[in-house]
Parts: sequence; C-alpha cells; structure tokens
Amino acid sequence: MSGSIRAGVREHGASILVSGLSAAFGVVLIGAVNVLATAVRQSQGGELVQAPLTTVSAIFFIISLYVGAIVTSNTFSTVIAGRTRQIALLRLIGATARQQRRAVAAEGLRAGLVGALAGGAIGAALSLASVPLLVGSGVLPDLRYQALSPAMLAPVVVVVFTTWFASWRGSRRIVTVSPIEALGVATQQGGDALPRRGLRLFLALAVLVVGTAAMAFGVALPRMVPVDGPEAEIVMAAAIAVAFVGGLLSFSGVLMCARFFVPGLLGAAGRLLGRSAPARLAAANATRHPARSTRMTVGLVIGVTIVSGFQVAQTTFLDILRDALSAEPDFYAAFTDIETTLTSLITVFSILVGFSAVIAAVGLANNLSLSVVQRTRELGLLRALGFTRRQVRLMILAESTQITLTAVVIGLVLGIVYGWAAAQSLLGAIPGARLAPPALPVAYLVLVVVMAALLAAAAAIAPTRRAVRVSPVEALSAA
Amino acid sequence: MRAWLGTRGGGATTSVAVVESVTKVFETEGDGVRALDSVSLEIPDHRFTAIMGPSGSGKSTLMHVMAGLDTVTEGRVLLGGVEVTRLDDTERTLFRRERVGFVFQAFNLVPTLDVAANIRLPYELRGRRPTAEQEMWIAELVTMLHLGDRLGHRPYELSGGQQQRVAIARALATRPSAVFADEPTGSLDSRTGREVLGILRSAVDEHGQAIVMVTHDPIAASYADNVIFMADGRVSARYGAMTADEISSLMVGPGTRA
Repeated sequence: MSGSIRAGVREHGASILVSGLSAAFGVVLIGAVNVLATAVRQSQGGELVQAPLTTVSAIFFIISLYVGAIVTSNTFSTVIAGRTRQIALLRLIGATARQQRRAVAAEGLRAGLVGALAGGAIGAALSLASVPLLVGSGVLPDLRYQALSPAMLAPVVVVVFTTWFASWRGSRRIVTVSPIEALGVATQQGGDALPRRGLRLFLALAVLVVGTAAMAFGVALPRMVPVDGPEAEIVMAAAIAVAFVGGLLSFSGVLMCARFFVPGLLGAAGRLLGRSAPARLAAANATRHPARSTRMTVGLVIGVTIVSGFQVAQTTFLDILRDALSAEPDFYAAFTDIETTLTSLITVFSILVGFSAVIAAVGLANNLSLSVVQRTRELGLLRALGFTRRQVRLMILAESTQITLTAVVIGLVLGIVYGWAAAQSLLGAIPGARLAPPALPVAYLVLVVVMAALLAAAAAIAPTRRAVRVSPVEALSAA
Repeated sequence: MRAWLGTRGGGATTSVAVVESVTKVFETEGDGVRALDSVSLEIPDHRFTAIMGPSGSGKSTLMHVMAGLDTVTEGRVLLGGVEVTRLDDTERTLFRRERVGFVFQAFNLVPTLDVAANIRLPYELRGRRPTAEQEMWIAELVTMLHLGDRLGHRPYELSGGQQQRVAIARALATRPSAVFADEPTGSLDSRTGREVLGILRSAVDEHGQAIVMVTHDPIAASYADNVIFMADGRVSARYGAMTADEISSLMVGPGTRA
C-alpha cells in the first residue's frame, strides 16, 4: 500500500503541482483584482479600470488553465504508456477498458483535488499576507481591502474539473490495450499505430482552419468597421474576444496536427546531429516512436510559444502605439506619461506569462524524466549489447537536442504569429494605428531558445544518469 | 585497454570460458545473498553447453558474470582468453560488444528499430559498417533464419518465435567468442521452442559457435553437448549429452538416477 502511494506521488507529483500552481494563480489574480480595484476607485476614473483588469486576469488564468490541461493530459498519456503491461494484465483478468479508464480518471480527480485545494489555500494565504505588507511599504494606500472573497473558490473548482477532464483525455490509449500484451511475448506495445488516422487529421485541420479564420477575423475587424466614440470600445472588445478564442482554437488545432508533422521534423533535426551511433539511434527513436516523441515536443512547443508570443505581442503593441502617437499627437495629448504606464504594465504581464511558462516547464521536465524511467529495459538491452554509459547518455542528449531544436522552431513561428495577432486585435482599433509587421525582440528570443535548451537537457540528464547507473542485469529484469 | 581485440581463436585453449573460485554476493537490506559460492568450471569452445538448476540456484548469475554483464565479489572469469573480471565497466561493455552474443527470454529487441536494424545493431553500436565478408555472413544468417521477408517489420509485429530468431541472428552476426542464451525458449510454445533450439544446435555444428544456455527445461537441455547442474550457488554435477528423460530423472533427485 505504501508502495503504491509512493508510486502515485512519483507519477502524479507533476499533475498535483500543476493543478496547485493553476489554482494558486487564479486565487491570487482574483485577490489582486479586488485589491487594485479598491485602491483605484479612490482616484479619478477608477471605475473604468475594474472591467479591463478583470478581463486581462481572466485571460491569463484561462491560458494557465489551458497549458495546465495539456501538460496534465500529456503526463497521463506518459503514465499510461508505462503501465501498459499492468493494464493488460487487469484486462486479462477481466477488467473492462471503461473500468480502467474510470480508475485512472479517478486518480486524476484526486490529484486535481489535492493540488487545487493546496494551491488555493496557498494563494489565499499569499493574498492575505501581501496586503498589509504592501500597505506597510507604502505601495498601496491605507484602505479597507477585501483580500479574500468567495469568488476565489471558482478557480479551485475549475482547476479540479480541468485536471479531471485532462486525465480522462490523457488516458484514452487504455481503450486500445490488448490483454495479450500481458503475456510477455510482445516486446512492446504496438500502440503507436494511430486508429482512424484520416478522421483525426480531418478534425485537427478543421479546428486549425476554423480557429485561424476566427483569429484573422478578430485582427481584421477593427479595420473593417469604421470606429468612432463609444462604438470603438465595443468593436475592440469583440475583436479581442474573437481573436482570443480563435487563437486558442487555432493553437489547439496545431497541437492536434502535431502527430502528423512533428516526427518528420524530428527526423530532419536528427540528421543534423551527425552519423555517430548514438545520434543515429536517437534519430531512429524519435521517428519510430512518434507518439512519445510528439508528446515531449508538444510540451516544449507550448512553453516556447507562450513566452515568445507574449514578447512579440508586447513589442508589436509598443510599436503600434508609438506609431499611433506620432500619427495623431493631438488625440493622445491628454495621455501623459503613457510609456511609463505601459512599461510597468508589461512587467506585470511578463510575470503573469512567466507563470504559464513555469507550468509548461514542470510538464516538460516530468515528461522527459518519466519516459527515460520507462525505457530502463531498452537502455539495459543496449548496455548489454555493448553501448557504453557515455553512449547511452549521448543518445538521450541527442534525442533531447532534436526535440529542443524542433520545438523551438515550431514555437518561435507560432509565437510570432499569435503574438502579432494578439497585438493587432488589441490595438488595431485605436486612432492612427497602422497594420504593423510583427516586431522581433531578437535578444529576448535567443534567451528563450537558450533557456529551453538548458531546461530540456537538464530534465533528461538526471534520469539518464540514474538509468545508466543500474547494471544491465537489473535493467533487463525491471518490470 | 583493447589488448583483447583480435586475440580470438588463439587455438591453444579448448575452453571458451574459465571460471575460477567465483563468489557473488548480492547485498540486500541487512544481510547478503550468496548467489555463487566459490564456483569453478570450464566451458568448452565450439560446443553447446546447458546450465540447469532450479530458480535461485545461481545459474543466471553464473551466466551474467561469465558474459561480463555483472561483476564478481571474488574470483576470476576468463572469456575467450580475456580476464573479464579485471575490466572496468566501459571495458566490459566494449568487450561484450565485440566478443559476446546474447539471446534473452524476452525483451530482446530494441522496439524502435526494425528487424534489419536490430540484426545490425552490434555493428551500429561499434560505429562501423560491416565489411563485405560480414555483410555476406549477415545475409546468410537472414536466409538461414527465414527472416528475408521480415526485415522491414518492427518487433511488435513479429511472433515470439520470429523475435527469438531475430535475436539469434543478432547474436551470431558478429561471430562472437560465445553466445549466451538465457531461457531462450522460456516464452515460446514447444514447437517454436524446438525450432529455436535446432537453430542454436546447427550454429554449433555448422559454424563452430560456442553457446552457453541457461534453462530449466530438460527438453531444451537435451540439445546440448554438456549439461552443468547448479544448486545453492554451487555446481552440483556435470554430464555429457543426455536425453530429456535422463535429465528429468536427474532433476527429481540425484538418488533416483538409474
């Protein structure tokens, strides 16, 4: 029993952490909006601030939920891949696929509950503790703030259900596990074959096309409708909403299509790494185990897209604004010190985006290390047949380099597209704005690439060290 | 470090493996388990040797230390004239790559590689292409083991018997000093098992390959030229070729032997 609990923490630790982070994030955002609204209401024009503030924090919370859901779904797929034998054995004894899937989803629900409750409590404590600190240090005026509110239960509940749903989504391979796989004759599952391939591709493309079209409409809307007075605000809000939902859909479509183009890109990246035995095996592993390699790549793609996308959005945003300022100086004369305000806003945004990036990073690290652990026997066989420890390490490193290269390229392209679309839909309606090309903050993007590479390498190295330390005999006898 | 490369077939020795008072203790929580207790034996070259014994008798551990897969606590092991017990982990790995072939009970093949790539894996691991002569040998093995129409298949697409044939082809591909087979028929039906044993037998008869097989199946052991019995970490008896019935009666108890 204690063994299964330990295994549970090892397998679901990341899911608990991810749901905890999302819930804490949601609770802190609500606390921050409440406190800021109270503080701003005192100054003139404060009523205008609460609605946009709420919208912006809702958007950031939804993004972190979305990233968390994909990470959790991926983690569960990896956990299931490692449990194929056990699932097959239970199927052999007579458990139905449905029962098994429900049991796994129940694990997801428990992980979501534990994580979200703990995260929510931590978030509430942070909100409660930070208000007197901020007042004491003079950042906030001394007012009666409501640091806690019943609304804070909402993100906790939403996170629990999202985690539950993600674990259900991630465990869909259970349905295809055959009881025969328990008999030990099959070397490893053939579950890589994709059932209903054509239908999946069609669905994925449909989601991608519809989402991208909606996003394009959101970008174009401000230019199609003549803007004036109060109508401008409505057009702007509609543009943002349509572009945001379209963007999420479009990105989901890309992720659904990933399975069809990522393995090929990984193979191409693998060929760049040379012809040594470890590099060749690594390239073969990536292309011949498409499900596993796609999962790992997607985890990194999300992180890179979000971080680079927001940076591109902010830079483009500033470009458009400066453009508009110089085009219509009279209109903006009333707004003084607009750059300073924007800079501080952007700092806040960066922190908010960083949060989703942390969730993506947790998922990536966990996925890489789980999949190395699951390959103990394969690595043991290679060691028995004459692969040195160093060669095994090089092979895993080559695999993670391929994944990083591929994910960074995909993520940067997506980040530039979505970031630009976000900036256009946000500011396209303001007077004097022109259709600006996407701005590329090169230094920042290079930093993103370096961080992604370091993270992927670090996540793979520790479990690989552990994997090669066991003797080939032990590795081969591992279940 | 690579002094042992190319020393194959000196001709002077008739033993492919020499085990001298080897003890292997597995440290578990608290006390150790003595898997091998001062074992000494020789395995003849160009012969098919079976190591038999109940589970826990130390037969698999003996195979692992002879093949350079595991270290010993005490004693010496020579394989093909090389003192395996003096090599460090990397040297042992290179030694296995060049001089030892393996056939395990299950999980023999790299799941991400197809049949052709699995057979060539030992060459791939060396980072060298097979020479023209080696290519001919691989082609001969593929024909001999009826794998010609399976080369593009992945392991999970093969039956258990086909997987074992691929593993045997891989083990023989480098013409190693010795092939070690750990319960090679353990997860096969009896007909497929006999086929696999026949292949191993003919590798000895036709190509002079030394094979050491660990098994608890009397029928499998009856294909061997020599049968070594292990019990409680020691060699309890050794015999020449025997029928399955003779082996079975020996396994029931030493006293019942006719």
